Amino acid sequence: MAAVSIQGLYKTFGGFAALSELSLDVKSGEFLTLIGPSGCGKTTLLKLISGFLEPTAGTIIINGQDVTKVPPEARDTALCFQSYALFPHLTVRENLEFGLRQKKTPANDRRARIADVAAKLGLEPQMDKLPNQLSGGQQQRVSLGRALVMRPSVILFDEPLSNLDAKLRDQVRVEIRRIQKDYGLTAIYVTHDQAEALAMSDRIVVLNGGRVEQVDTPESLYLSPRTGFVADFIGSANVLSGRVLGQSTPGLWDIETPIGTLETCSDPGPKGSTVALCWRAETAQLGKGDLRGIVRDKAFQGHFTDLMVETDGSIYRIQTGRTAAVEGGEVRFSIPPESVILLESKT
Amino acid sequence: MTARRWLQVIALLMPGLGIILWLIGSVVYIAVAQSFGAYGLTGESSFTMSYWADTVSRAIYWRSIQYSLYVGVLSAIFSVALAYPLAIWLRKPFPGSMAIGAVLKAPLLVHGLVAAFLFINLIAYNGFLNQLMQWLGVWDAPRRLQNDNHAIGVLILQTWKNMPFALLLLTGAVQSIPEDILDAARDMGAGPWDRFRKVIAPLTVSGMQAALVIIFIGAVADFTFQTIAGPTNRQSMSQLMVGYKVRGEWQYAGVVGVTLMLMALVGSAVLAFVSRMVMRGRLT
Repeated sequence: MAAVSIQGLYKTFGGFAALSELSLDVKSGEFLTLIGPSGCGKTTLLKLISGFLEPTAGTIIINGQDVTKVPPEARDTALCFQSYALFPHLTVRENLEFGLRQKKTPANDRRARIADVAAKLGLEPQMDKLPNQLSGGQQQRVSLGRALVMRPSVILFDEPLSNLDAKLRDQVRVEIRRIQKDYGLTAIYVTHDQAEALAMSDRIVVLNGGRVEQVDTPESLYLSPRTGFVADFIGSANVLSGRVLGQSTPGLWDIETPIGTLETCSDPGPKGSTVALCWRAETAQLGKGDLRGIVRDKAFQGHFTDLMVETDGSIYRIQTGRTAAVEGGEVRFSIPPESVILLESKT
Repeated sequence: MTARRWLQVIALLMPGLGIILWLIGSVVYIAVAQSFGAYGLTGESSFTMSYWADTVSRAIYWRSIQYSLYVGVLSAIFSVALAYPLAIWLRKPFPGSMAIGAVLKAPLLVHGLVAAFLFINLIAYNGFLNQLMQWLGVWDAPRRLQNDNHAIGVLILQTWKNMPFALLLLTGAVQSIPEDILDAARDMGAGPWDRFRKVIAPLTVSGMQAALVIIFIGAVADFTFQTIAGPTNRQSMSQLMVGYKVRGEWQYAGVVGVTLMLMALVGSAVLAFVSRMVMRGRLT
């Protein structure tokens, strides 16, 4: 049985449909990430699951119980807020204790749970401090701890790392995943950061305009995006249209594109004579092959270099290691057939 | 800071703070001095404790203190108690919330004297309320509602007049609580009452204290409402003080005035302390 089952969910605000016909199952103990651009409905979905919003239509089932009309205070979920939302007048200990007292958890159990979470999150030295005496990372841990002590059926994260600096974000990201595994929690995580989604998730739900574009594991989503939107949103991909010329050798299709003829060994093969396809920026091999373009922009990124290459009036992105290519100069490149991915649609 | 810097700061503060301190200080000084026999405007001036001894031995003095405290404390509590739910209700804007807020604050624009006369007209022996109750068949004959012994009329007027002020302070305080904080409390299982008790009240305690103290100080020294709508068998401290002054007994008026100032000071401190203790009552 799924820990969370969402069936035919609609949510409209006035005339605007924030979510349309959304159905989704989250397995018990799974770490599921909702990702998408601003306004795609990911936070709305999280608020519907946590009960802060009521759906226009559809049902939400948590652990087999229909909670569609159940208020947040009566749901077995815990939400980690983007702003942390710690109670500023309460100490760390009192913040952690808040939900347990609401649930009238016996004092012994309360103390044991708080001690356990505080130890796991390294909060022991901060227990008697007020939130304004803590750093951003520490506040984030308290927010996480406050949700964890509740031992909810589902823990929900609303972009919890967005207020942290890059280094701390990486550190807390690992901690959240470790703790989720340790406690065997079902987690639903909202982010707009695709690197975060890829690194943390068992499965990722890509949302676009209130609809599910694709639900898959991070690897499948990255290597086999179904649409141009997913290909471009998860990692940077170059999306283009092409015309199928035929099979040069069994399993290898020739496709004519605006940048030249590309070969693909995509399985399944093309479903029509015209196709949408993509290739990842890092799969291009610079300095060999028949494809040519002019370097319009070059940006050193540390462990790779970003080249914006113009071919046939369009700009394509190539990521490579150290390169002698210069802005305004011509480069040759090729794309291996296994890196050319056929899409169901270009958008 | 150097002495020169201190002088500069004092010089900058003098035009504002200096005048305020001088005005308040001189009034307090004269009232205190008069209560001990100095500045006798209609007689001789000499230091004596007799005015204090004489006044504190009179039952009317203690009854006035009791009555003024009763009106001051209850008016402050009723005003704040009524303003809190309204402030929470008006926290998030909704269609018509601006208009409702404006109407609720309208009593601030009506002078107390006018309000008291309107109220008297309403509850008069042949006034609107008596006529309405008879017409509805609730009462057989008109009842005497004016100048009631428990000062309910005064409390209604004080609350009506002061609630908008409490609302003004509390709305700002309640609105300053981030939505996420209240959502977090809700997410942790807190219903409306627990959200108020454990989150809203402790986070707005400063606004509530300010409202309680300012309303208390005004109500404890009430003269207008008491004169028009208050019980005829009791006097507020202001009434007592004016009575002494009218009879030319400035020293006795000074004693009552100083008592009133002390009541305002001590009462405010007690109210502020008690409200903080109650509202900051942490998690229990």
